Amino acid sequence: MSPAGCPHVNGFKVDNWKQNLRVIYQCFVWTRKRKAKSCICHMCGAHLNRLHSCLSCVFFACFAKKHIHEHAKSKRHNLAIDLLYGGIYCFMCQDYIYDKDMEQIAKEEQRKAWKMQGMTPACCHSPCCVRVCVPGTGEKYSTWEPTKRELELLRHNPKRRRITSNCTIGLRGLINLGNTCFMNCIVQALTHTPLLRDFFLSDRHKCEMQSNSCLVCEMSQLFQEFYSGHRSPHIPFRLLHLVWTHARHLAGYEQQDAHEFLIAALDVLHRHCKDDNGKKANNPNHCNCIIDQIFTGGLQSDVTCQVCHGVSTTIDPFWDISLDLPGSSTPFWPLSPGGDGSALNGESHATGATTLTDCLRRFTRPEHLGSSAKIKCSGCHSYQESTKQLTMKKLPIVACFHVKRFEHSAKLRRKITTYVSFPLELDMTPFMASSKESRMNGQYQQAVDPFNNDNKYSLFAVVNHQGTLESGHYTTFIRQHKDQWFKCDDAIITKASIQDVLDSEGYLLFYHKQFLEYE
Amino acid sequence: MSKDSQMRAAINQKLIETGERERLKELLRAKLVECGWKDQLKAHCKDVIKEKGLEHVTVEDLVTEVTPKGRALVPDSVKKELLHRIRAFLAQHATL
Repeated sequence: MSPAGCPHVNGFKVDNWKQNLRVIYQCFVWTRKRKAKSCICHMCGAHLNRLHSCLSCVFFACFAKKHIHEHAKSKRHNLAIDLLYGGIYCFMCQDYIYDKDMEQIAKEEQRKAWKMQGMTPACCHSPCCVRVCVPGTGEKYSTWEPTKRELELLRHNPKRRRITSNCTIGLRGLINLGNTCFMNCIVQALTHTPLLRDFFLSDRHKCEMQSNSCLVCEMSQLFQEFYSGHRSPHIPFRLLHLVWTHARHLAGYEQQDAHEFLIAALDVLHRHCKDDNGKKANNPNHCNCIIDQIFTGGLQSDVTCQVCHGVSTTIDPFWDISLDLPGSSTPFWPLSPGGDGSALNGESHATGATTLTDCLRRFTRPEHLGSSAKIKCSGCHSYQESTKQLTMKKLPIVACFHVKRFEHSAKLRRKITTYVSFPLELDMTPFMASSKESRMNGQYQQAVDPFNNDNKYSLFAVVNHQGTLESGHYTTFIRQHKDQWFKCDDAIITKASIQDVLDSEGYLLFYHKQFLEYE
Repeated sequence: MSKDSQMRAAINQKLIETGERERLKELLRAKLVECGWKDQLKAHCKDVIKEKGLEHVTVEDLVTEVTPKGRALVPDSVKKELLHRIRAFLAQHATL
């Protein structure tokens, strides 16, 4: 299509052409009902084959079999409209044309039709807007169009970076400032969390803090450094200083726990974030900040009274799941062989190794609270023995599993080095509160729906600890592209194989939901 | 019309009337976005446009170039799921 446009369209733009065009869009393009009955090719009766309607007379014909072309030639009617997508075709130019006035009418009629069908065009908050219709909810998102300011910025900054399937953008080492590998390993995991990266790289943080001590702003800066393309290691002294300021318990040059740092960092980020409604994120129940959107899940705790069988349920938010290991002083409960979870996640017990699924099954098993821990039952109005069970009510987009390797009991302080095997892909369905309900309703053999993708996760970062409790070192494996992993050891980044990742001990495991849905 | 195409038309009519065709289309759209098919084809379209030149390329050129690749790139899992849905639908409307 030449940029000069189509000269033949002027012949059409006479009399009441606007109104006529509107009627065509309303009745034959942006509609569902009439399509079934009257929209068939006048020459061969076909429904499909890219049906077009002549703009000059009432004639429907298919494009694929050239029936509309024959009509155009014989009647000298140059223009036709595609009934599926609303595009206007000119037989003289032999291409679809893009006339501003006609496009305007098409858009207006489409919006009107959406309103009538109960769909409201809304702008999606995600930077990766797509023309998507979510079936059943009646929402349609419009494609992203750049604003005047954005167009200006793009013109003034003509340099473009192309992301190929094996590029190393986003990989950058971090200098160790004195036992700060506990911070470095978490920073590597966070800078490679896809949704968090997208949020910061599209400048979504609007800072409300007056002082220079906003941790979210510093994170934003950090992402800019990581994705700048510089290959020299970054020195995160400002980040360290801010962490010391906001999380006093982590200050000092001693080695700290990476898991503690993760929770502290998420907490400070959550506090400094502004939620979408413009309110300060002080209310933990109504926060809509990016940290909550990505990391917060809901853990359901069901306490069942052993006498009246009444169930008391609470749901608490969580950012991570801490899993006990065999070999710790708390007994690792004997598990029923086979059971749900292990078959689903493709693990075998042949080697006798503990798997992540074993740990999750233990985490979600019903636990009998002994006679020394009686709960006041509202049904019995007295203290009774009960069982407690934890399940996942709502899964976060990023699930972080913390393997409890550091034992700090009264008797001993030690590190448990038992190897835990974890999968690249994880299905959390057996551990959901909804699955538990099905089991309780007697459906023991749940038909696993192979087409349900809601609970499927992919591994994207693994934090490991080498050494002892007294002196140790943290490193992180991160996934740069599918099946391409790198090891981040402070300032040194090296390529790693999938086997390296899966053979590692595993201390913090980061999984990302495979399929994302709009709310 | 042959018996085959008669049956095809009847099934199609039923699919449209019950709104199942719309639902299947939306399902297919979502699946093709999820598995990255849409992005792959978009990239291919860009390549074709670069090759032919923006001023000269027509929609027909794109359709001719991209259709065979598009058909080949649909993952088996998506085909399987759609067939499964259609079979289930036909089972329900057995009077055909």
